[in-house]
Amino acid sequence: MPRIDAHLHVFTKASAEFPREISDVWPADREEPIEKLLGEMEKHQIDQAVLVQMAGASIANHRYLLQCLKEYPNRFLGIGLVPEGHPNPADHMAELTDNTGIIGFRFSTFGGPRDIFAKMDVREFAAYPIWKCAAERDYVLWLYPNAINAHLLPYLIQEFPQVRIVLNHLAVCPGTGKFSWDEFGRPQVQVTGYNLFMHTTYRLARFENVNVHLSGQYAFSSEEFPYKDLAGWHHGLLGGFGAKRLMWATDFPWILEEPGYGKLTTVIEELLPNLSEAELADIMGGNAKRILRFPDL
Amino acid sequence: MILPTPEEKRQWEEEGYLVFENAIQGEDLKRLQNAFDYWADACKEEWLDRVEAGEAVATFYDIPNPLEKDPIFIDIIDYPSYYGALMEFTDHDLILLGPQVRTVAPWPVSYTGWHPDVGHSNPLHIKVQIYVNDVEPGSGEFGFVPGSHKPDAGPYTRPMRQESMTGHKTFPGKAGTAIMFNSCGWHVSMDNHSDTPRKSIILIYEKRTPGRIGPEQFASISASCQTPERRKLFSLDG
Repeated sequence: MPRIDAHLHVFTKASAEFPREISDVWPADREEPIEKLLGEMEKHQIDQAVLVQMAGASIANHRYLLQCLKEYPNRFLGIGLVPEGHPNPADHMAELTDNTGIIGFRFSTFGGPRDIFAKMDVREFAAYPIWKCAAERDYVLWLYPNAINAHLLPYLIQEFPQVRIVLNHLAVCPGTGKFSWDEFGRPQVQVTGYNLFMHTTYRLARFENVNVHLSGQYAFSSEEFPYKDLAGWHHGLLGGFGAKRLMWATDFPWILEEPGYGKLTTVIEELLPNLSEAELADIMGGNAKRILRFPDL
Repeated sequence: MILPTPEEKRQWEEEGYLVFENAIQGEDLKRLQNAFDYWADACKEEWLDRVEAGEAVATFYDIPNPLEKDPIFIDIIDYPSYYGALMEFTDHDLILLGPQVRTVAPWPVSYTGWHPDVGHSNPLHIKVQIYVNDVEPGSGEFGFVPGSHKPDAGPYTRPMRQESMTGHKTFPGKAGTAIMFNSCGWHVSMDNHSDTPRKSIILIYEKRTPGRIGPEQFASISASCQTPERRKLFSLDG
């Protein structure tokens, strides 16, 4: 069974050929190229990976991702971005998925009522056209919902039960103002000691098309690797979703310095030590191959 | 104090729950409903802000510090219709751990799955859930597995769907109904597919153990607790 890293990012220096947004963490001259990733994958026996677009949602911003997918069609699948407020998201999504290796799109807001007690009509949600397009064209939706959006998800999932959903990073829904970067250049998300998500995203286990990444531990844990304080979260997700709907990922490149790519290839064994060999193999790649339809190597 | 009948005692021992229909009624129920609605409305926007900040659960909310907000929330802690049973089952050595004055939104999925609250090594832990509005079938009513509180019961596993739980019973009820249950038992809030939020109050009690609740916990309502019984219930004298 292949070992698949189900969520990571690569980018090159900002240039006319590969335009991208810049920030303090990814300045114009920083690069975390595909070759560097391939080196880590080779070293740690990882066969395939999902490349997730970052640093811009325009078609041009996706050029480097598209080049990587074209160059290594058997090794990688891609997840794109849709510009917020795009007047015709279906066209944008179609252009990016035209035989390119991009299989779906990532976003974090759904544009519905802030108040869970409000009347819900999914057709009024701003993200409705994206979901509709995903349903019609069999795209995967890669979701990292903001905290105030989590309650909207089951309405959309009910409306589009055929859409494959992957909840990113332990199904956490970050709160406004709780995001920062640490001294190792890693995203940090401040979460409460009490696991709020077991009352929202964990409850989506009932929907068979919802899957979850076991990743991003470094961002939520108050401990060093192997992030034992999150063992309960992993057990909760395993108990709810089962071993067939969980996917391991590293979130490369943020983890390269601390704890390092190699250590993260063992994080599932550390946090879920009672998995059978078959269950571990599923989480480490089998599920990603089946759900995301990775090509045979 | 109304003590439980022999039949109620048998049901408590064997099945782990009791239902008190019309436990609160008349003027007291109106006071409770008015206080609940007023404070739930007053606290809602702050709760939504906390949801947005990732500090509160998105699918239900509790009125913070309810005992300080209206005396009716204190009066229901030792309300005669169920207080006698609480005292009897804890050998007249009862303490309050806290109230949850809770509004649960209608949502396609219940906010929680089947679970027990405590293990059998815990001192007797009892909850009383009081419906503040009418709770129809399919609108977030309480569910319980009779007998699941016993040490030799089970093992139980959490099903994907609430209604698939083996041997469970659901408890729709009118406003003012109180359901008392042993928290070792498996219980849940059923799905709420209606348009109506479920409004209820969950009172949490335990058989007294030394140091479980300090006198500071409920010090802010000390003035409302003048009798020795109340002071003991609220652990106000250590």
